Amino acid sequence: MSPTLSQQLDALARNLIPAALGILLVLFSTIPYSLPAFGAVAPNFVLMAVFYWAVFRSDALSPITVFLIGLLQDILIGTPPGLNAAILVLVRTFAVSQNRVFRGKSFMVLWFGFVVVGLSAAFAEWLITAIYHLDFLDPRLVLVRAAMTIALFPFLVWLFSWTHQKLLPQN
Amino acid sequence: MGGAALMVLGRTDNAIVERVSVVVVDVFAPMMDMLSRPAATVREGVETARELAYLRDENVRLARENQRLLGWQESARHLAAQNEVLQSLLAYSPPAEARFVTARVVGDSGGVFVRSAIVNAGASVGVAKGQAAITGAGLAGRVAQAGHRSARILLITDINSRVPVLVESSRERAILAGDNSRLPRLSFLPANASVHTGDRIVTSGHGGVFPPGLSVGRVVIDSSGTPRVEPFAQLDRLEFVRLVDFPRVEPIQTPRTARRAPTAP
Repeated sequence: MSPTLSQQLDALARNLIPAALGILLVLFSTIPYSLPAFGAVAPNFVLMAVFYWAVFRSDALSPITVFLIGLLQDILIGTPPGLNAAILVLVRTFAVSQNRVFRGKSFMVLWFGFVVVGLSAAFAEWLITAIYHLDFLDPRLVLVRAAMTIALFPFLVWLFSWTHQKLLPQN
Repeated sequence: MGGAALMVLGRTDNAIVERVSVVVVDVFAPMMDMLSRPAATVREGVETARELAYLRDENVRLARENQRLLGWQESARHLAAQNEVLQSLLAYSPPAEARFVTARVVGDSGGVFVRSAIVNAGASVGVAKGQAAITGAGLAGRVAQAGHRSARILLITDINSRVPVLVESSRERAILAGDNSRLPRLSFLPANASVHTGDRIVTSGHGGVFPPGLSVGRVVIDSSGTPRVEPFAQLDRLEFVRLVDFPRVEPIQTPRTARRAPTAP
């Protein structure tokens, strides 16, 4: 039996959830928290989302969508346009290629994978920005931010897996 | 690849890249405005609780400050009267009044290597690129991009920020150069310049971007001996900023009255 129009629309809407969540997380990361020095080291929620979806549902977040989400992040934050877009696409490519390593394993394996991704992304951001400005930049803040991102990863994974199981159509 | 190409385009100040980012910020600004309101409410609640706890101390402090300010008021009145007399002697025409727009900060940069903020006012209320963004305490930055209903403020701590300044007491010129740290550097000081911790730094007005005399901050000398400036504006907790459209300051001409001044026999 072919699906009815409302079923098709429903499936479409559900498939858009990861992208919508990505955009929402970009907006969340730009809210003024007004905590001293927190703005600069606020965790990178978008990185967590892209990694999660690339491992578990790579079809739900295409490379183009990831690129556009990264570009939105660049524009709203004010980073060089293309910086986060490029980093997120690389993270997605890596996570998709390694998803067999992470799927069906314990959470610790996934978390360890994210430690590698988080630190590499931080290093890439630092290096590219330094080249962009032709200046040596203090790497400490970027490390604090990576640590915060890695530390909060379990909470966001809980949110993503809840969304994944309850709201996304199973394939 | 696309990312790298975009970055190169952005680096060369490509007009299309800038135009697109202005439009995107404009589209998302209302959503950011909405999302930032609960955060602001929570913050105000915390602030109120803290203020209640220190109400008495605060009252004593304010009473003292009031005493001190009354003294200043007295001398300000005196100086204003004197200024008026001197201005009339010189036939000085004062520059036009500055216009300003107060805007709420809806987006803080969530970036490690960027110090900027997005505000909910744009060209529709007269905000334009290059205007100064100030708080009650001092200079915060300048408008780097202005959309229709939003604008991006480049803070004075950002690595791209350069502000011509003066050491208020010695009138020595310097450039306040942001480096993404909390305390921007004071560079291009004359070799024999002497700056001390606590010296007030104000804008010099050179280059025409900012008017002269805006308060910026106080000098602190860091552990390596580099003079830095602690901004008066609390840049990591900006809530509202004033975007000021200062009329361009024309160079002062020698007043005719001065030339015609009678020489005393």
